[in-house]
Amino acid sequence: MKRSAALCLTLMCVALSSDPASAYLKLGTQVDRGTVTLRWEEFPVRYFITNAAGGGVSATQLRDAVVSAFSRWDAVETAETTSEFVGFTGARPNDDDGLTVIGFENRPDQDRTLGATSFLIDTLTGEIVEAEIYLNSAFQWSVAANGQAERFDVESIALHEIGHLLGLGHSALGETELRNGGRRVIAAESVMFPVAFSAGSTAGRTLKTDDIAGISDTYPNPTYRRERGSVSGSVTKSGRGVLGAHVVAFNPRTGRLVGGFSLNADGRFVIGGLEPGPHVLRVEPLDDGDVESFFDLTLNIDANFRAKFHDRLVVVPRGGGASDIEIRVEPK
Amino acid sequence: MITEMTRVMRILATVAIVACVPAAADAQVWLGKTKPRPGSVEISGGGTWTGGQSLPKSAATLTANPSGGLSSFEQFTSEPSMDPAFGVQGALAVYVTRAIAIEGGVRFSRPQLKVGLANDVEGAPDITASTTMSSYLFTGSLVYNVGAQGRTVPFIAAGAGHLRDVHTGNELVETGTEYHGKAGVKMWFGRTRQVGLRVEGGVSVRDGGFSYEDDRRFVPTAAASLVYLY
Repeated sequence: MKRSAALCLTLMCVALSSDPASAYLKLGTQVDRGTVTLRWEEFPVRYFITNAAGGGVSATQLRDAVVSAFSRWDAVETAETTSEFVGFTGARPNDDDGLTVIGFENRPDQDRTLGATSFLIDTLTGEIVEAEIYLNSAFQWSVAANGQAERFDVESIALHEIGHLLGLGHSALGETELRNGGRRVIAAESVMFPVAFSAGSTAGRTLKTDDIAGISDTYPNPTYRRERGSVSGSVTKSGRGVLGAHVVAFNPRTGRLVGGFSLNADGRFVIGGLEPGPHVLRVEPLDDGDVESFFDLTLNIDANFRAKFHDRLVVVPRGGGASDIEIRVEPK
Repeated sequence: MITEMTRVMRILATVAIVACVPAAADAQVWLGKTKPRPGSVEISGGGTWTGGQSLPKSAATLTANPSGGLSSFEQFTSEPSMDPAFGVQGALAVYVTRAIAIEGGVRFSRPQLKVGLANDVEGAPDITASTTMSSYLFTGSLVYNVGAQGRTVPFIAAGAGHLRDVHTGNELVETGTEYHGKAGVKMWFGRTRQVGLRVEGGVSVRDGGFSYEDDRRFVPTAAASLVYLY
């Protein structure tokens, strides 16, 4: 069994695949026969908390926030994940020790990174063997129920990083603006959006429809397979496929949004985890986040086209898929 | 259940016999004197109109960053509607008294579902996205004919039905329950009064089937049919 250590998550998106992933941006790795999705095969996910305080938060407070964040993912009704806090440990995140460890790390060099996730995976099967999350204690943190001014919310950021730990990539369901040399999020509708809400906010503690679709697509249970559906098709420009287009399905009955990407040179996309019924499809270029937050920079992501709505309502079947949808976009 | 089936068969058999005899005996007979009577059958078919559904404009809303001062952020606006639809219907009624009939019917229409999309933050051109579905309504009603012997016969009816909305390509079927009340008039032609025109309007209360909302909804209906009385 060949294994590689500590993969950087943003470089291993399924965008490398020749076949589009089903719904959402999931993490993957290339194997001989193509790309396999990163996922845990054994549950519960057993994790340790580093017995060290950081950023104004004790290890016990960190544990409580992480347990709460895990429980939000475990509570998704259409997915099958479970987790278990094993205990405190002297080990630190990023130690290659066979343990899944979550803790604070002081990384002043990473002055825009609140947290990060790394993996030890089986590169033949994509099975996640070990994962580590660190929260950067160079920032000030809070576990207050309603947040605390000038401090980032531990549970919100832990919820995002645990999404990575479970195999999810970033979502592009959000709007940003450039400010002071960086990106500030204006709004987002996914915990997995790569840019966090401002310090003091606890809005990132709630999983959104997009997150639920992503985790359910990775770890589907019978209810998900029976009650949810998908849409698939392609995004084309001047007769050629568009790689990296952000496609969003909007349910006009519920107002819920689920996003996905066109993930190969043919512009193919699949969005899963949708409720049955008519949906609006909207496609936009990937311009609300740094491309490297989503895809390997070696890929030729096409952002030179105008946002567009598909002119047909697409009916999502229960337990099946609506396919062969072509959305033709125009160059800017 | 077996008893009920037997009763229905007996009524239909009686109807068939009655239907044959007068026609063979004398076409000049004014049926209004003798019909309808218990066991008479009325068949109708024609066109229908079913009201649409229009919802207030809403939005695809993202959770706003609290530091931005916005309570919510609209990515684009959405205005869903279902067009009023013309369709066809057929019904068969069996009189249990001279004034009261039990009626079963089916309606079919193809309403168009639309969503108006506008005000996109990224400048996507405004558009109305649409699709068409097939809507089937199977009904049972109790019909009371007021003054059943006249040439012009007002009537009222109430009943329930099963709604079956089938989206394009049969990818998704949404079913529901329907209750209705309606009123109208039958205008019999000629001396035999076997053929007439039936015009009606009413309200259909629907639970389930396709709707942009989960709530029970009230749908206006109208229909005009040709009627044949055996």
